[in-house]
Amino acid sequence: MITWGSPIWLYLWLAGMTGGAFFAAFLVDRFMGGTQKALLRLATYLGVPFAVIGVLLLIVDLGTPIRFWHLFAEFDAASAMSLGTWILFVWVACAVIMIVLWYGERFLTTEGTRIAVARITGALSWITFIFSALLITYTGVLLASSNQALWAGTVLVPSLFVASAVSTGVAVVIITALVGRNQEITKRTIARLSEADAIVIAIEMAILIGFAIWLGISAMGGATEGLKLLTIGSLAPAFWVGVVLLALLIPLGLELSHWGKEIKGRTVWLAFVVPSVCVLLGGLILRAIIVVGGQM
Amino acid sequence: MTKAALVDITKCMGCRGCQVACKAWNDNSGETDTHNTGSYENPPHLSASTWTRIEFYEIGQNGGVQWYFRKHQCMHCTAASCEAVCPTGAISHKGEFVIVDQNICIGCGYCAMACPFDAVHREPPLGTARKCWFCFDRVSNGYEPACVKTCPSGAIEFDERDELLTTAQARVDNLKNNGHPKARLYGENELGGLHWLYIIDGRPSEFGLPESPQLATNMLVGQWVGGLITAGLLAAIPFWLLFRRKRELEESSIAGGEQ
Repeated sequence: MITWGSPIWLYLWLAGMTGGAFFAAFLVDRFMGGTQKALLRLATYLGVPFAVIGVLLLIVDLGTPIRFWHLFAEFDAASAMSLGTWILFVWVACAVIMIVLWYGERFLTTEGTRIAVARITGALSWITFIFSALLITYTGVLLASSNQALWAGTVLVPSLFVASAVSTGVAVVIITALVGRNQEITKRTIARLSEADAIVIAIEMAILIGFAIWLGISAMGGATEGLKLLTIGSLAPAFWVGVVLLALLIPLGLELSHWGKEIKGRTVWLAFVVPSVCVLLGGLILRAIIVVGGQM
Repeated sequence: MTKAALVDITKCMGCRGCQVACKAWNDNSGETDTHNTGSYENPPHLSASTWTRIEFYEIGQNGGVQWYFRKHQCMHCTAASCEAVCPTGAISHKGEFVIVDQNICIGCGYCAMACPFDAVHREPPLGTARKCWFCFDRVSNGYEPACVKTCPSGAIEFDERDELLTTAQARVDNLKNNGHPKARLYGENELGGLHWLYIIDGRPSEFGLPESPQLATNMLVGQWVGGLITAGLLAAIPFWLLFRRKRELEESSIAGGEQ
C-alpha cells in the first residue's frame, strides 16, 4: 500500500530545489566577495513560491488537512517531520523578510538606513543559508528515519538528497537566469555554476553507488529486495533512464564537454539549458522512485 | 506490573474469531478489497479499519509442511517508532499501551512509514492513523481485549507480562522437548519489550516478523550528520574551489601581469 504518494515526492523535490538554490547562490555570492547579490535574490524569489507550493501539497496529502496547524503546536527534535516543519517555517520567514527589505531598499533615502538594512539582510541571508543546509538534509532524514528498508537500510539517503538538492537548485537558477534574461547574472557566473554542478553530480554519483552497495550488504530485512526493485525490478526503467541517464550521465557529459570553453549563441542551450532540464527531471524521478519504491 | 498478551502460534487454528471480535467491539467497517491473493487470508492486509488479522504460513519442517497461523496487530512496543516520529504528539504511551489520539492526529502517515510491523495505517476516508489500541476501554475497566475474550483455542492469553514470560518460557521448553527444536519466544526484548509476545516455531522472518526490529529514530544523529557533512563537502569542493580559489588565482595572475 502506498501511503506517501505524488504530493510527497513533489514536495521533496520542491523543498530540495528551494534549499539547494539558496545554498548554492549564497556560497557563490560569499566566495565572489558579495558581488552576486542578483543570484542570491533570484534563489530567494524562486524558493518562496516553491516552498509555499510544497507546503500546500503536504497539507493536501494529510488525512485531515484542516488540522495542519497541529504541526505548529508541538516541537519534537526526534521527529524529522516536526523538525522539518520548523526548519521550513524559519526558511520561509527569513526569505520573505529579505524580499520585503530588498523591495523597500529603493524607498530609503539616508545612507545610514541603507547600511542598517544591508546588515539585516546580510544576517538573514546567513540564517537562511544555515536553514537551507538543514532543509535539504531534512528531506532525506524524513525518509531515512523510518522502517522502510529502501530508506533506512543505509544512512546515505540524506547525503543523496543533499547532493541532488544542490544539483537541482543550481539547475533551476541557471534556467531561470537564462530564460529570464537576467542581465545582472553574467554568462561567466553561469558557466562557473555549470562547472560546479558537474562536480556536484560526480559526488552524487559516488553517493548513489555507495547507496547501492550499502543496500546490497545491509542486514536490514528487505534492503536487498529494495535494491533489486530499483535496478532490475519494476522501477528499473525509471532508475536507469530517469536517474542514471537524465540526472547524472547526460548533464555531466554535457557540462564536462563545455568546461572552460566560451559559450555563445545557440551553444548556450546545449551547454547550460539542456543539462539543467535533465537535472531537474532526473531529480524529480529520483525522489519519485525512492519514495514509491520504499513502500513497495 | 504491566499487562501484555501472549500468542501461542502452535495453538492457533486460524478461525479468525479474533478478527471478527475486533471489528465488532471497535465498530470498524468491513473491507471492500477482498480479492483472492492466492491464499485463504482475508482481508489481504491490515488497514485503518482492520486492526488485526490472521496470516497464514506454510513452513517446511521434518520433511513435511507445517501450516501455521499468526495473529498480526500493533505490538505496543516499549520503544515505539510510531510514537518517536509522530510530529504532533498524537501517539503516546498510556501505561504500557500505545494509543493514537484521534483528536490530535493529522493523518500525515509518518507512523505508518516508521512502524517495523506494518501495524498502523492511514487511509481515506478515515483520515487519521488507526491501529489496535489493545481495547483500552475494556482493559482499563478490568476486562480482557475483545480478541482474547473470543479466542476459542486458548492461543491468546492476557495477563501480567512477567507472568506471561514465565508461562511462555515453560511452553517453549515443552515444545523443544517434543519435536519442535526451533521453538522460541519473540517479543521479550525486541524494541525494549513488546506487549504482544509470540511463541513461534522457527525463525521470526518465517512468520513475517522482523528478525531484529529497530527504532526508526535509532540512526537519526548519524543521518543528520551524514547529510550535513555532504552539504559541507559540496560547499568546499565545487563552490569554494571554483568561485573562491579560482578567483584568487585569477586576481594573483592579473596582479603578477601588472608588475
